[in-house]
Amino acid sequence: MTFAARRWFAIVLTVVVAVAGSAVLLSRSMSLRGTAWESGWVLLAVLLFLASYNLRKKLTYPPLLSSATWLQLHVYVGVLSVILFGWHIGWRIPNGLLETAIAVVFVCVAASGVAGLALSRMIPGRLTVRGEEVLFERIPVYRRQLRERAEAVIVDSAQESGTDTLSDFYARRLADFFHGPRHAWRHVVQSTRPVTELLHELRSLERYLSDGERETLRELTELVQAKDNLDYHRTMQGMLKGWLFVHIPLTGVLLVLVGAHVVLVHAFAGASA
Amino acid sequence: MTDEDVARLLAIEPFSAMDPRNFSQRVPLRGILRNDTRIRRYRNGTVVVRQGDYGNSAFLILAGSVRVILEGLDPKLVGRSERRRRSVIGSVARLITNPRSPESRDARRYPQMQRPADDQSPDAERAFVQDVNILRDFPAAFEQTTNDVMTTGELFGELAALGRIPRSATVVADGECELLEIRWQGLRDLRKYDAALRQHTDDRFRRFGLSAALRASPLLAGLSTELLEQVTSAAEFETYGSFDWYGTFQQLRKRDVDPLSAEPVIAEQGHYPNGLVLIRAGFARVSRKLGHGEQTFNYLGKGDVYGLAELVHNAGAAQPVPLASTLRAVGYVDVVRIPTRTFEQVILPNLPAGMRPPAALPVDPSGGGPTPSRPDRPGGHEGHGIDPPMLEFLVEHRFINGTATMMIDMDRCTRCDDCVRACASGHDNNPRFIRHGPTIGHHMIANACMHCADPVCMIGCPTGAIHRSEESGEVVINDLTCIGCGTCAASCPYDNIQMVEIRDRSSNDAIMIDPAQGKAIVKATKCDLCIDHHGGPACERACPHDALKRVDMRDLDSLARWLRR
Repeated sequence: MTFAARRWFAIVLTVVVAVAGSAVLLSRSMSLRGTAWESGWVLLAVLLFLASYNLRKKLTYPPLLSSATWLQLHVYVGVLSVILFGWHIGWRIPNGLLETAIAVVFVCVAASGVAGLALSRMIPGRLTVRGEEVLFERIPVYRRQLRERAEAVIVDSAQESGTDTLSDFYARRLADFFHGPRHAWRHVVQSTRPVTELLHELRSLERYLSDGERETLRELTELVQAKDNLDYHRTMQGMLKGWLFVHIPLTGVLLVLVGAHVVLVHAFAGASA
Repeated sequence: MTDEDVARLLAIEPFSAMDPRNFSQRVPLRGILRNDTRIRRYRNGTVVVRQGDYGNSAFLILAGSVRVILEGLDPKLVGRSERRRRSVIGSVARLITNPRSPESRDARRYPQMQRPADDQSPDAERAFVQDVNILRDFPAAFEQTTNDVMTTGELFGELAALGRIPRSATVVADGECELLEIRWQGLRDLRKYDAALRQHTDDRFRRFGLSAALRASPLLAGLSTELLEQVTSAAEFETYGSFDWYGTFQQLRKRDVDPLSAEPVIAEQGHYPNGLVLIRAGFARVSRKLGHGEQTFNYLGKGDVYGLAELVHNAGAAQPVPLASTLRAVGYVDVVRIPTRTFEQVILPNLPAGMRPPAALPVDPSGGGPTPSRPDRPGGHEGHGIDPPMLEFLVEHRFINGTATMMIDMDRCTRCDDCVRACASGHDNNPRFIRHGPTIGHHMIANACMHCADPVCMIGCPTGAIHRSEESGEVVINDLTCIGCGTCAASCPYDNIQMVEIRDRSSNDAIMIDPAQGKAIVKATKCDLCIDHHGGPACERACPHDALKRVDMRDLDSLARWLRR
């Protein structure tokens, strides 16, 4: 099955389930029977199922369907959980402190999930066409190698030419650039302006250089481009990993709050009845 | 080999019958015997070769006799361990019981850790298959086998050595015996310069190997025994490329040489099709002229045929067409050529309906002839739909050798490393692959064992520790019999085998030291396709984005479907 066919199948199925579920809840509410109890328990089960995906990732070997299947279920059941949550709170902003906190955290979890999914679909393709493929953990090593190479090139050039045009420029503009990750926010918004400016400045030096220094300039230009690509990979791969540090802890917070909510609802069930 | 040994060999058959003048000055008979052979003596009952192992030498019986065990031998008696999958509970328990350090093992399982430090005797370690003595240790089991005797002057093991196929039988010494082990290079040269030996080995292949090879081809499946006999007697054997192609391939990679220049031509575009070419072992590139170069549009492996469309088209045609493409040996290729006359008289009239290419073949207007097809895709000319650049990439990097090549779609891979963690969780906390490797477009071939169709890593393993699993053919390493020599890691053309120092779980994960040698114990490790676990390769199942696939490169249609998702 192609991805497109799978996506259409899942969307249609999700819409059917959402419409059928909404119809059931609507009919119950129109007959003046409360839906909070049923929708609440179903929602709790759905939330536990969604949270169990992280557990599945740790259980590598028991034959529990593939992680990709789990992710598909996670995404579409997640969409259904938003609709169910809306029914559960009566499509209005809750007024109690705990209920408001649950709603806020739920929205944050759902939003971070949507954001994560969007990042997971958008970023990989961009990484593929930008620079060499690098392992995230190895990026500091590659960065250090680039810096050492750039410094060596500059030192050699200064010794050979006896001029300080390039070494001055390096000390003024490039030393900091090569020292650590740079322009993260620019990379987030896909802006290449900083590196374009840097390369423009490098090119503008060409008229002041000897033939030997021009060769150094060419190599330096390649190193600047490679460093910028490395920074881009660091930022983008960091985003791909980073959103989970929001989504998963918030899921934990949500489950704790929901647990308190269930206990309180049951504790005061008699009183409300 | 000493001068006396060589002189002794030259005085006995078959070497005494060989004319040294037929040999080249660069490769004299005496030189072959000196450099490519060695005399080995075996005690009664010891194993000479083991069924299923890959070997790179043949054996000539100089004195005594051997027994060839044809069937009935329990593989466990010759060191083949039966692998058991972990239980589901056991798999879950590993989450808790997994040690923190990588490669931490139970030292009690390793024989060298059990013997005293002052025990230096060769018999103390029984890792080598040659150390197994079937007659002495398992006489009753041996009595149950069907076996045959080979005596002085007979040659065995040459088909496996030359064809790079597993040994078809286990051979044990029958009494004290003396054998001449001939490396494949020596055997190749002897065959090249001595017609009698060539005739002898060809006859043996015709008798023992060819019928099975032909019968395995779907094109010939419908032939009666009598007709198959006709094909067998007419067939010609040819070998192209270098047996140790992996060494040449590694050198080419370093030197950035045009790979086509190093690939011998088996059949050339525009030439008359003088027979049906059946690939018996290895791989071949199918290319067609394009501009000033050649474009790869297919590759063939074991069991595939070349020239079928042209031969069918030409049978009885007024205007025969030449070959539409060039066939080149990628590495080492062993082919059987069935002459055109035999094809037309015997095979064509009995061709199974589904195997016949369509009557109206697309003929190249430049005179190139019809577009060839593969027998498993009758009529599906180049129907796999994989772009030539991808095919070029797969062929040039020799990834076509893989039956479980790890391919990653980098447009879907989020670099989350769930695959790496999943692998590590089931393999002593140390992933058996690196999520990195050559890329083409948005596809990467990661550094993971591909479980090659032609597993060159197995050649030369002194203990047979690296072997194909009996059950499903994965290339796996027996951790207990691996002696850490690194031969397999050095042979792997793809650098997919890692040598690791192992740790002793009971000694706070300290590096395990062999008490007899005082050195760290080293083991070869690689992907085993999670053979010990349920559910197949964990890397593939752990990928949340369907980005990772273990691809069988023999199945181009599946690969094409995956690429087109």
